[in-house]
Amino acid sequence: MNRLPLEIIINGEPYSLTVEPNRTLLEVLRDDLDLTGAKEGCGEGVCGSCTVLLDGNPVRSCLTLALEANGSHVTTVEGLADGGELDPLQQSFIDHGAVQCGFCTSGMLMTSKGLLLRKPHPEKKEIIAALSGHTCRCTGYTKIIEAVEAVVDGPKKER
Amino acid sequence: MPDYAYIGKSMPRVDSRAKSTGEALFTADLKLPRMLIGKILRSPHPHARILNIDASEALRIPGVKAVITGADTLGKKWGVFGYTQDQQFLPTDKVRFIGEEVAAVAAVNEDVALEAMGRIRVEYEVLEPVFDPMEAIAPGAPLLHDNFPQNINIHVPIHVGDVEEGFAKSYYIQEDTFTAAEDSYFQAEPYAVLARFDMNENLEIWMPNAGPHMKAKPLSNALGIPLNKVRVRKITIGGAFGGRSEISPADFICALLARKTRRPVKIVYTREENSISTRQGHALITTIKTGVNREGRVISRDVTCYMDGGGYSSTGPIATSVPFLCMEQAYKMEHVRYNGYRIYTNKPPRGMIRIHGRAFACGVDTQLDMIGEHLGIDPIRMRMINAREPGEYTNTGSYVASCAMQETIVKATERANWKEKYGKLPPFRGIGIGCNSVQTGFPMGIRGGSEAIIKFNEDGGATVISGVVDNGQGNDHMLVQIAAEELGIRPEDVQLVTADTEVTPSDPGAYSQVSTFIGGHAVKNAAAKVREQLFEVASELLEADPADLVARDRQIYVKGCPEAGIPLKKVIRKVLARGKAVSGEGDYWPKVDPKREWISNPHGQMCGAFSFGTTVAEVEVDPETGQVRVLEVTVAQDVGFALNPLVLEGQFQGSVAMGGQGGILTEGHTWDAGFTMNPTQLEYKVPLACDMPKINSIIVESNDPEGPYGAKESGMSIAMSAAQAYAAAISNAIGVYMTDLPITPDKILKAIQDKKRNEENPPDADN
Repeated sequence: MNRLPLEIIINGEPYSLTVEPNRTLLEVLRDDLDLTGAKEGCGEGVCGSCTVLLDGNPVRSCLTLALEANGSHVTTVEGLADGGELDPLQQSFIDHGAVQCGFCTSGMLMTSKGLLLRKPHPEKKEIIAALSGHTCRCTGYTKIIEAVEAVVDGPKKER
Repeated sequence: MPDYAYIGKSMPRVDSRAKSTGEALFTADLKLPRMLIGKILRSPHPHARILNIDASEALRIPGVKAVITGADTLGKKWGVFGYTQDQQFLPTDKVRFIGEEVAAVAAVNEDVALEAMGRIRVEYEVLEPVFDPMEAIAPGAPLLHDNFPQNINIHVPIHVGDVEEGFAKSYYIQEDTFTAAEDSYFQAEPYAVLARFDMNENLEIWMPNAGPHMKAKPLSNALGIPLNKVRVRKITIGGAFGGRSEISPADFICALLARKTRRPVKIVYTREENSISTRQGHALITTIKTGVNREGRVISRDVTCYMDGGGYSSTGPIATSVPFLCMEQAYKMEHVRYNGYRIYTNKPPRGMIRIHGRAFACGVDTQLDMIGEHLGIDPIRMRMINAREPGEYTNTGSYVASCAMQETIVKATERANWKEKYGKLPPFRGIGIGCNSVQTGFPMGIRGGSEAIIKFNEDGGATVISGVVDNGQGNDHMLVQIAAEELGIRPEDVQLVTADTEVTPSDPGAYSQVSTFIGGHAVKNAAAKVREQLFEVASELLEADPADLVARDRQIYVKGCPEAGIPLKKVIRKVLARGKAVSGEGDYWPKVDPKREWISNPHGQMCGAFSFGTTVAEVEVDPETGQVRVLEVTVAQDVGFALNPLVLEGQFQGSVAMGGQGGILTEGHTWDAGFTMNPTQLEYKVPLACDMPKINSIIVESNDPEGPYGAKESGMSIAMSAAQAYAAAISNAIGVYMTDLPITPDKILKAIQDKKRNEENPPDADN
């Protein structure tokens, strides 16, 4: 298969790649660029573990062809922290015990980030609706929802 | 409660940072130089003899480095027990389920591997399959394994007392049958394995596992290499729930491909492969006959359970026993008989799952409600008078040292406002209760204990070496918390070397809810020895009796005088300067009856402790659609002692999701001639965030005399009782006792319609 050029900015860094047109964004991130924070849990866009931000919007990278991201900004979980400084969502997930096995965590974080970029003060039901595109088998979701709520409400509402 | 620095405190887990940044590596994330990609060719037939496999065409494809079949193996059969050895990791005779491993390819990339798979020619002689366990035990059914007549893989017979005499003495007897479909683990992480051999022919292998040492032994057997050459490495694991306990054929296949190609090989399962070719939960048909006295106390119980085991034994004897054991722990009975049969069918093999035997557990509780209704006794009273109490023995002879079952019932029902709600809710609203008990450990013979090693560096940092594995439940943090507490250092001063069979001593694994009770205990004991070494020298420096010393926050001081303490690292240097080591070893072995055996002698002490828990669920059923909305769930569990309440709450909430919300409302496999119809994430419905009710968590502490700090388990008991409570609440809402799981809207609608029809046209009493 012919490879086509892909110009893409990932976590702020520009990449000039050539990729086969049938490759997914998830495959390029994981296999070519060793950005393995996005996970493949189902490969059919259901579990949400592969979620990354494409120009600020959460997308399933397993259902997104890499070439669809041409010219776009992609943010993966590896780009969420600012140097050593964790994103408030990451810190809140840690503090609230929202992480158990951790396989779904990067997807949950990216969707939450996308939500807060779009709407900094969502209601609880909007948080739940946003997270309902993800499956987590460990937590029962309660602590993940609490972790996102705490970021929305600001640092005062700690446990 | 003693004044602990870390124990008993809610603490964020040490592993959560790396998991939040994407830095934690799972098996599929690993990449090694010259690594090949492996793929497994699977049987399209539920039952067939393998006549010939021709891989010549596949091997001619550029980039294909190896194809292996059963002919490349030593042909050994694996089984958890000597008497259950029935599975070849690549079969040489026949296949027994759709999805069974037949051959495997290693190639330079996935595309080439997939192309090669299509070019392997397998010639099968298709055999008659059998899918239904009751058909499989009938005379004349096709046999899956020649040495297991009637396809009976396991028969567990238990009879304590005299059930017939018990029934004769009973005031009221009720008999019912409860059924459940197969369920699935649906771990977030699909199975994956990476294997390579190093320059000294040592196998290095990474895979999700619930016990590295339990993986290493069968690999050593199958590959014909010594145990010390099998190095199962530590890796982040995306959930287990009972489904990662055993060796997987993929582990062996990957190792064999690596040996043949002399290159690293990685196999990553698709979601479908994870569903059909790892393990599933058993389908169950359970008939329960219970006799009670006038007050509702259980006098006699006779249970017969048929479990659909699929094509191979897996943990068969354990799986066949555990539903019975949970019930005999939870509730008292004067006389009991159990006949558990695990039957082979041409379906994927079944293992232990977090809500193992849901039809059994839900059946016992549903029947208590039925009996209570007949006698005019409410569900709480039925449970309180039958609930296990501390200081008692189970029917099969396990002493129950700590037990707060009754307290969990009282606390959960009070918090849920049971008295205000039961029998007083509007139509199609219901409230239900479930109680359960889970083993903290199984008799595991030479694998039953754990050993830990701790060494201090001169700067005050410690390294803990332990075979305990973390599947996601927080075991790593548990070890750090215990080590920091005992050594008087901070969690960040502790580094772990865990779950690596090259270095870590044997451990039972994160299996049977035992990691804290046994593995954590071993770390506690090792730390106590190291502390002793420090106190010996510190007592001279402080001119005090070692018994009066305290190690806390990097200081050693005389009790009550923290201001006059000396830095711990100074004491370490003093010990080292005297030419003595600052390191220690500790182990812990549970006090179980070594003669207890699952089938030949199911009597004697089962394990060190038992957890007890109660769940109350309140639901609303839509009579038009059969949909269930869960309004509120309250859980109370006797965990012994809560080491980290934050982690426990997470376990409880996850248990409600898996056991109640998924386990009762949606989860079950459907079949077409041995083919799993819903193996994918889209079709198999696990609960989502929008499905979850409000959950009230209550921690009850009975302080087990054997558990570390009094701790027992917290990962399974609520999943079980949540299933029971959900089933009871739905039955209460619609006024029909539901006996087939999962309780899906179609079943609910049918039950409502049948009830209505019966009320309008009562069945003729003479019929």
